[in-house]
Amino acid sequence: MPPQLKLNAVAFVSPQNHPILIRTFAQGQDELKYHYIAHTSLDVIDERIAAALASKSTDCYLNLLYTMEDVAVYGYITPLKVKIIIALALTDSVVRDADVITIFRALHTAYRQAVANPFLKVNAPIDGYNDHATLLQAGNSKWRAFRKRVDDIGKAVGAVGSAT
Amino acid sequence: MNSYPPELLVQLAPVMFVAGLEVPPPHQPQTPASASAHAPPPKTPTTPAQQTQRQDPFNVLSTRLRDALLAQRKVAIWQPDKSKTFQVVLVDKDVPFPPRKMLRPDEPGHSSSHSPLSPLTPSSPLHPDGLIAPIWIRKHTTLVPSVFVLFMRIYESPPPLPGQEQNEKEREAEERRRDTELAAEIAQRKKSTNERNIKLTAVLMASRRMLDDPTLDARLTFIRRQSGLDPRAALFVLSPVSQAEIGDFVRSLQEALYEPALEYYTNHSKRVRRKRNRHSQASVYQMPISPLASAGIARPLRPEGWTVRYEYKMACFAEFRGEDQVALKHYQDAYSTLIIMFGSTAILPPRTKRWAEAKVLADCITVKIVKLYLYNNEHALALSHQNGHMRKFADFSRGWGIGEETFEFWSWLARQHRVFAELLEQGTRSTLKIPSAYPPPAPSAATMAAQVLEATQMGLDTMRVLGLNPNQALQHPGFYYYMAARCTERRRERFLSALESDGEPQQSNAPGFVNEKKVDHLTIALELYTRAYELFKKWSPQQGNNPGRLTLWIAYRIAQTYHDSGKFDMAVRFFERIARTYRRESWQSLLHPLLSQWYKCAQQLGDVDLSVRLLVEMLAYGTNASPEDPDALQDDLLAVLQSTVPSATDEPLVIDLSESKSLLSTSVVFWEPEVDVGVLAPVQIHLSSLPHVSLSSVSFTSLAIHFNSDVPSVIVKHVQADPDTKIASVQRVDIGEINVSPAPAEPQEVVSVLRWGRGSTIVLAGSVASDLPMHLSVSKLVLTIKERSWWIEVPIVPEASRPDDSLMAPKWLCTVDPPQYLPMRREDHTGVRVRYRSHRIHVSISHNGPAYIGEDFPVEIDVTNTDDRELDVTVDVLLQPTEIDEAVNYIAMDDQRSTSLIKTISCGSLAPGTSILKKLVLTNTGGAGERVIDISVQSESHASNTVASTPTSSTTPTTPSHPPLVDRTETLRTIAVEAIHPIKVAHQATYRRPTRAQPGLADLETFEGVKKDEASAVEAIVTSTLTVVAPAGIEIESILLSRKNTDDATIVDCSADTDDFNGEWLSGDELSSRCRISVVPDEDEPDRAIPGAGEYEVRWRRISFDSAHGALATTTFPLPPLHPPSDGLVALLDAPTTAHLHQPIPLRLTVRNRHPSRSANVTVRLEPDAATDAFIVSGLRHGRMPILLPGAEENITWNLIPVECGLVRVPSIKVLDRRSAVQISQQTEQGIAGQGPPVQEGDEVRIVDVRWEARREAEEDGVGKGALPAVKTFKANDVFVLVLP
Repeated sequence: MPPQLKLNAVAFVSPQNHPILIRTFAQGQDELKYHYIAHTSLDVIDERIAAALASKSTDCYLNLLYTMEDVAVYGYITPLKVKIIIALALTDSVVRDADVITIFRALHTAYRQAVANPFLKVNAPIDGYNDHATLLQAGNSKWRAFRKRVDDIGKAVGAVGSAT
Repeated sequence: MNSYPPELLVQLAPVMFVAGLEVPPPHQPQTPASASAHAPPPKTPTTPAQQTQRQDPFNVLSTRLRDALLAQRKVAIWQPDKSKTFQVVLVDKDVPFPPRKMLRPDEPGHSSSHSPLSPLTPSSPLHPDGLIAPIWIRKHTTLVPSVFVLFMRIYESPPPLPGQEQNEKEREAEERRRDTELAAEIAQRKKSTNERNIKLTAVLMASRRMLDDPTLDARLTFIRRQSGLDPRAALFVLSPVSQAEIGDFVRSLQEALYEPALEYYTNHSKRVRRKRNRHSQASVYQMPISPLASAGIARPLRPEGWTVRYEYKMACFAEFRGEDQVALKHYQDAYSTLIIMFGSTAILPPRTKRWAEAKVLADCITVKIVKLYLYNNEHALALSHQNGHMRKFADFSRGWGIGEETFEFWSWLARQHRVFAELLEQGTRSTLKIPSAYPPPAPSAATMAAQVLEATQMGLDTMRVLGLNPNQALQHPGFYYYMAARCTERRRERFLSALESDGEPQQSNAPGFVNEKKVDHLTIALELYTRAYELFKKWSPQQGNNPGRLTLWIAYRIAQTYHDSGKFDMAVRFFERIARTYRRESWQSLLHPLLSQWYKCAQQLGDVDLSVRLLVEMLAYGTNASPEDPDALQDDLLAVLQSTVPSATDEPLVIDLSESKSLLSTSVVFWEPEVDVGVLAPVQIHLSSLPHVSLSSVSFTSLAIHFNSDVPSVIVKHVQADPDTKIASVQRVDIGEINVSPAPAEPQEVVSVLRWGRGSTIVLAGSVASDLPMHLSVSKLVLTIKERSWWIEVPIVPEASRPDDSLMAPKWLCTVDPPQYLPMRREDHTGVRVRYRSHRIHVSISHNGPAYIGEDFPVEIDVTNTDDRELDVTVDVLLQPTEIDEAVNYIAMDDQRSTSLIKTISCGSLAPGTSILKKLVLTNTGGAGERVIDISVQSESHASNTVASTPTSSTTPTTPSHPPLVDRTETLRTIAVEAIHPIKVAHQATYRRPTRAQPGLADLETFEGVKKDEASAVEAIVTSTLTVVAPAGIEIESILLSRKNTDDATIVDCSADTDDFNGEWLSGDELSSRCRISVVPDEDEPDRAIPGAGEYEVRWRRISFDSAHGALATTTFPLPPLHPPSDGLVALLDAPTTAHLHQPIPLRLTVRNRHPSRSANVTVRLEPDAATDAFIVSGLRHGRMPILLPGAEENITWNLIPVECGLVRVPSIKVLDRRSAVQISQQTEQGIAGQGPPVQEGDEVRIVDVRWEARREAEEDGVGKGALPAVKTFKANDVFVLVLP
């Protein structure tokens, strides 16, 4: 039986390492912990990016970043350097890379759709805004669709794992 | 790791006992051993005895040997080195071994007695049911060796002195006696080692001289036989040698002894295996009832226990032998049996001494197994065992009542993590490499295919290939230290909760709990965190001084632990460092708990300044603020302010929040991007509080607005309003007009209510004006809070205070009620540029176009100062480069002349209302077309310059970044001048053949000098028509042909020399001039154009529309190049123009062969013309002319006597070239062209009437006919003569 993946948290981090959106799905857990995990993952991601540059790899998937306490942290970097970090509940079983990549792809798509929202810039000055601000704005609590999509993915991961 | 017996953890290696290397103390030189050692070295008279003693080579040798043997191996847990080294233990020569059995062999019952350590021996610590004790390992590592090396001195006789040969016999006897003693000593030792199968090796130390002694071999054989040593690898001889050679010796000694050592341990293993087999075969094991064991509750060891014991022993012996795989197998067997034992409370009742021992043993075996896996780089297996161990015992613990809710459990778990971390740390210090999960080994197509194949064959196992068990990914030891620290924290939590429910006395008095009370959990956690911190730092990629985020996290934990343990000052130090990164990366979620913790520390420390600082920062972030209780933070702040006094009261406490979020989000908006000097620029400053934080009770006393440069600051003072009035969400405050003046001005003061509620905004509206050009912006806003003795200043930099993640354009408040805004979508809304009013300068440019090519064309620039100031005016003119062919144009103004740019033509100072006229002269050459001129008129105000420069230099001398304040306006004009030719010229050239006789072929003159071939000279007549196209007409002063005769062309005469063209000519007028040129075509290149031999120079003036005459201009028109046509065979007929009746006239025909190569065969026939018998002809009627060679000519002359008056035609003459006819007739003769056209007599040669001849240029023959219809060629038939009576 394939291992049942349980998504504990998802974090989107901007290229300048500012948090865009952090969602936690684990019930009754300290949400702050996942903020810390997202933040500390950036260290490992930086390391991985350097390694990827050295080996001229263009892979978005950064593999297992680290395990700590009860979570395994995986990283993904979009071509535009937005980092996506997920924390899976740690079980003593093999996690297939293909499964993790599928989750990342879904999250990336959700993010892309959120950033494509033209209303993000509706109040922006004509020439003064930067794209970075747009990215951060996408995670603002005002825009609920992004959160909903991410939450749906979180739910779907658990559901798929148990169904198969 | 220190919590486990070290014996159970260290890496085992074969043990070697070394005896006989004791160095005698230097103060007792006369011990027997040293005496014997003392004797042999030759005493040199120069060396004092004491020094000899110290430098005794054998002492040195002993010391070095000891060092070499001891230094080669350190007792350590991580020792994967597989070189054949021994664990060396230095012992006395006669060290006893522990007894193998309780009873000596000679005592009765020896065979049934057991080892003193066996559980079956009542006096053993393991009696009756212990598994294995560390003392057993210690026995094998320190008390019993696998090999015994005995260092001895061999006796050496003093060197025979001369004349003492007779002592030879005595000496030999002495040697023999000593050797026997030595052998006896060795034999004694040999006896005890043989009992235990221990290899004994003797190393005899002898001087170098001794090695060369011929008797040595015999003596050695004697000693070995006497002592009963093995024949192989049991006797070595060593002389004092250098350090390096000692190393070699030690190595070879060990290599020689390694085999016996392995044999020793193998024998042990075999013995233990036999015992184990005996055990497992015995279905019912008879408990050997020991009389002492029957008492009490202790039960004898169960079979499982014996299995564990034997497996463990075998594992240890395998480890001694360096057989890691075998050891691993036995350890695993021991472990699994141990797990079975734990599974049953009957076998191992929990919370007993044996149970605790077994637990320690299980932990230690786990360490061994993990270590052995890691030696082999089996990271996943190692981790899987480690995790499995922790999981299994976690399960057991629940059953034992020490589950996850107890501090015991967490203490144990922390220890597991810590031991693992320590093992990894030791490993990484030597050989262990932590694998990196990234970049993953790039799967090639082949491996992918192989994986897919495997997938289909092996099913589930494929997941191992396509993924990774995150639980089995080895990480650096920092992670495990961190885990240990976390577990320790949990342990503390459990302990504290146990402490709270301290109701049950039996629990509080339990020994574990009493022990736990003594434990300082926080110190342990701190130590673990610190270790983790250091390791994270070590393993993080070094990025300058930027601390890694992982280390920051640990640091935060450390700070928290410090906080928990009451070391607030340490915690504050950590918080300060951590906050820096979190602020920079704007991870507010991390910053909030940190700030509150920090604040708590500051409170505990009693640092009021820091508390206030942190509270203000927390207010800015809205930390811990909730929409339900927006006043919480400000209440805290107020409480602090009212209850404490600052550290310094005479100066303000400046809270600089530039690194973090500012207290109020601000935006400065100027309505316009640019204004003129002296004009008011409207500005609004918005200050808003966070939507969930109220600042209503914080009493801001004033708000200072600081502009950049000299603008006086504005201070908004707070006036106490009615405290009950609700704070409006938007409040507009007028700060009036602010004027920037050179003189330093006092700050303006405005009063208003400075209170912010939840998410409320105060808009300060005003306007700024400056008399000087500058960039105006708001540099900072300073909020001042004065409460009791507190004086706090919070500076806010407006640009930085706008959250950069907001995509909201700044807004301009239009109306307050209801608030309506206008978005300002400009980028530069934060400042306004003040610039000088541009000068009113009127520039008009006039010229009478079009310009004529070749003339100096005047352009007038009229600059009028319509301003009210006196202005200095300068003019720059730029002539744009053109792409017209051969156009070289000049502009000139005043005394400057250039092809492109004339700079800084000063027009002087213009008073208001005056104007100046500048004349620009444009000279064009080349083709017609547009010339583009840029004219820039710069005006500079003197008056404002002096005013502006003095104050700026005096008041702000240190601002070099200011651009020079020059009040300058530039007016640009661009004109395009059409340039045309004033006169157009057209040339028409015709050519005539010379009529005079040609020099003969053989004429010597032909060959003389450079003179051209006169024979080929042609006369060209060039007709030039000049058409005036200048629209206003021109006045021509003269037209001259300037001659430039060459060898090829010579002007013979010209009509312009005599004609006078002087006068005014209007557009469309044409003038004509003819000139005759003698042209000698080049024989070699007949097609080459011959340059015209001169040019017409037309001197003219422009006539303007107002009839004024311009400057004299000269235009030249060169004569066209000439192309004289080439010639073939030609007949020239020359007849006089007029004749008188009955007077004979000559009619001369010249046949000239101008063909370059062919000769001509010509016949001439005078055709009698019946119709015109106007002449009587005398001469040749029909005849053949002599053959004409190329270049030759022949004349025939007829005499004509006119017999009729009037214009009569001369008889027609036909000249035939027979050359082609000859060819054709030859061809017909050969019968080739029989049916061709009728054979002609020959080609008719053209007859040219030289009186009329005018040939056009060869290439114009086809096209020029219509252009010059007057020129005709006549045929000979049409030669007329006017006959007069």
